[in-house]
Parts: sequence; C-alpha cells; structure tokens
Amino acid sequence: MFGYVRPLAPELKVKEFERFRACYCGLCHELGREYGAAGRSILNYDFVFLSMLLWGGRDSCDYCQRRCLPGFFRKKCVCASAPALTVAAGYSVILAYWKAVDNRDDSRGGRRLLAAAVRLLLKRPYRKAAARYPAFDRSVWERLDALHRLEAESCASLDRAADQFARLLASASGAAGEESRRALEQLLYHVGRIVYIADAFADLREDRRAGRYNPVAVRYGLASAEADERTKAGVRETLLSSVDLAAAALALLPKSYWTPVTENIVLLGLPDMIDRVLAGTYVTAGKRLPKRPQLSQNGE
Amino acid sequence: MQDPYKVLGVSSNASDEEVKKAYRELAKKYHPDNYVDNPLADLAQEKMKEINEAYDTITRSRKNGSQTGSGSTGGYSSGYSSGWSGGGSAYQQAGGAYAQIRSAINAGNLQYAEQLLDASPTRDAEWNFLMGSLYYRKGWLDDARSFFQRAVSMDPSNGEYRQALNMLGGAGSPYRQTGYGPPAQQGGCDMCDMCTAMMCANMMCGGCR
Repeated sequence: MFGYVRPLAPELKVKEFERFRACYCGLCHELGREYGAAGRSILNYDFVFLSMLLWGGRDSCDYCQRRCLPGFFRKKCVCASAPALTVAAGYSVILAYWKAVDNRDDSRGGRRLLAAAVRLLLKRPYRKAAARYPAFDRSVWERLDALHRLEAESCASLDRAADQFARLLASASGAAGEESRRALEQLLYHVGRIVYIADAFADLREDRRAGRYNPVAVRYGLASAEADERTKAGVRETLLSSVDLAAAALALLPKSYWTPVTENIVLLGLPDMIDRVLAGTYVTAGKRLPKRPQLSQNGE
Repeated sequence: MQDPYKVLGVSSNASDEEVKKAYRELAKKYHPDNYVDNPLADLAQEKMKEINEAYDTITRSRKNGSQTGSGSTGGYSSGYSSGWSGGGSAYQQAGGAYAQIRSAINAGNLQYAEQLLDASPTRDAEWNFLMGSLYYRKGWLDDARSFFQRAVSMDPSNGEYRQALNMLGGAGSPYRQTGYGPPAQQGGCDMCDMCTAMMCANMMCGGCR
C-alpha cells in the first residue's frame, strides 16, 4: 500500500528535485538514527510527502553532508534532522508494523512467514515509536481493525472501506500546528482515499487469485480479474474528484519551503499515478509489471 | 495586519500590473465557486477576504502616493467579495424537513443530517440529492455520485441536481489538468503529433524558398 504518492519528476525544477531527494535521504537517515537498520528498510515516498506537509510555515531547511551505503565513498547532501522528519519517521514505523501484522493474518505460506519476520524485526522500533506517539498508534490500530471487519463482511460500498484508511492517514494531521490542521486533515483524508482505491484496483488480479475481498471488484460486480471500461471510468472519475478536493485543501495550507514539491505531487503526481494504475503500468516497490503488458485499445 | 505585499506574494516595488496579476491569480484560486459544499469553504472565504483587503490597501496607498498617474488600478476589489452569500439561495426556498436537513449539512452537522435523512419517509429526488450532498461533505465521492445520479434521473429538469453531478465530474475545476500528456481517450497533441506538424511546417518552408 506504499509508494503511490510521488512527484512527477520531469515537471520539477532541478533545484526542487534536489530538495525532494535531500528530504528523502533525510528521512532515511532519521529512520536509521532513531530506529536502526530495520527502521530504515521501511522508507517510502508517502512519508516523505508527509514530512514535507508537517514542515509548517517554515521557509527554510538545514542541510548537511552524509554518507550512506549506496555510493559510500561520496557524501550526499541531505536534510538535517527536523521535527517534521522525526514525526514522519515515527509514524511510518507504526504504520509499517501494523501493516505487517495485518499481512501476517491475511496471507498464507511463504508470504505469511515473510510478514511474520518483518513484524519481529520491527517490534523494537515499533515499541519506541508507539511510546512516543500513542495517539497515532491507537488510531492506526483502530482503523485497521475496523477495515478488517468491513473486509470480512465484504463491504459493497467503496467509500465505506476507503473511509477507514483515509481517516487513518488523516489522523497524522494531529502533529500539525493549529492553523493548518483542518486543511491538512482534509488533504490527507483524500490522499488516503486515493491510495486505498488505487491500491485495490492494482490488486484486482492478485486478490482474485487468492480469493480475497477486493472493494473495487465488489463495487462494480466484476466477474473476472480484468476491469472493464465502465469500471475504469468510474474509478478514474471518483479518484480525480478526490484529487480536486485534495488540491483545494492544499491551497489553504500556509506556504512553506516545500510548497512547489507538494503542489507537484498533488496536481501532477497523483493524476499521473492514477492514469498509470488504470492502464496497468504503474510500478511500486514489491510489485512487478505483468509479464506481457496489456495493450490499450489505441495500441499505446 | 499582515504586510499586504506578502499576502499577494509580490515585492513592494512590483509594478501595478504585476500586483493586479498576482491578485487575479489568487482570487481565481480561492474563489468561492471552487469551494462550493466544501467543508473548508469558511477558510477559503477568510483567505479571499485577506487577499481583497491586501489589494485594496495597496491600490489605495498607491493612488494617494506618488504613483497617481496610473489610473487603471482598482475595480476588482469589490467584484469577488460580494458574489458569495454562503450556501446558495435555493437552500432557503425548500420547506419543512428538507430545509432543516440542508441547514444541518451546511453547518457541517453531518451526524444530525444523516439521522434526519434516515428517518425521512419519502425517497424522492430531493432526498437523493441531499444524501449525495451529505456524502460529498464526508468525502465519500463514489456514493455521492450514485445519489446525485439518481436524483437527476428522477428529476432531470432540476438545475441544482445537475450542477452537483457536474461538479463531481470535474466541470469547472481549476485543478483538473491532465497529467503528463493527455489520457488515451481524449484527443490532443502528443510528441508524434508535434513531430509530424514540425515536418509539415519544414516542408512548407522548403516550398516557399
């Protein structure tokens, strides 16, 4: 469920791309320092986005030179530790832990073992993070539990299922300042909704094979693993409406150092991701392209 | 009060034209039309007020100051601020239980509105429309769309219902832009088209020589 919230890199200025990369590296170092190697392994784009949003109205960022394993001999310019990075790192550990618990209960065979191993590795980092952010921990646990129950009863409303994950992400706005909390909550709600539905669409085939519940398949009464044009159009429409509302909320956040990047992510990155997910050509970490990509009707 | 130039995002020695352009862009961004039925409408309204005040302050101070020569400033200050009455006039006309539900939705009291809608004995077009509005406010856009569609099919002549459905289709959205290159269904200009056009243009240049 991670890796759907990224900028559309070709549309960023070079300096903005460098900033984004530095923030990505900054979050990685923050995870490493606070939660060790296991914490570092869960780094993902979505929480880089969150740390940029939690930056507040600050119009600057401190940088420092750091080494890391890929390319050890050359130091990289990364964002120095900042409160927003610390919070985002803690939140991502909490979410990754509960996601691993969820995966362990959901799957069978090798995947189950893998998820159980991840959960064990994340146990200590999770304890540290949960002690720091008990409110977020409780909210993640509650929402995932409610989502589980909805999935068990094969909930027919796409929105009702997406609502739980959206509210989970929206609860991360608790770390923001008073003046921007409401807008941030609305923004994160819709980003969460988009991620949940896009992920469900991307998982259609896999869920079908495993006989698992899939909200998109149930909502549109799909008889096969392939989505028809009506389903694609419906999902696209509802996701783009969420992008509209997310963009309207983003406009109400105070301008910060990261505004050009976050605007790119919401206005260009998300629609691009949606197009690719619907076309079946989106690649996230851990998910490969189908062996022979299906050609669309225009042959593109 | 905040520095009006900072509010508009321009430097204090920007020309009148630049100030006006920045003001127009911001006014377009925070225009009430973009926040119809949006739970953040009040925040957008505040922002709009701030921008109007900043623009008024700048134009007034420039008129009184040394730059009296440029008479073309002003004129936009009142246009945007007056159009918004907060909730739409049609809301006041409906009678009885529906009016109560409408005002509950407008006030953001969604739980109460949902109770009233559940208790309502009739399931007519307006009921479906109000359910749609309720779900829209909650961010449940897929369900909202279904209810709006049902309302429109039950009463196709009603402009309000159709407008709500169009809003969900992205009509008039300032943010709706196609991503990197247009999607496959909509025609448009991709790299191949541009390349072909360039080749044609080049051939024509050759012909003129």
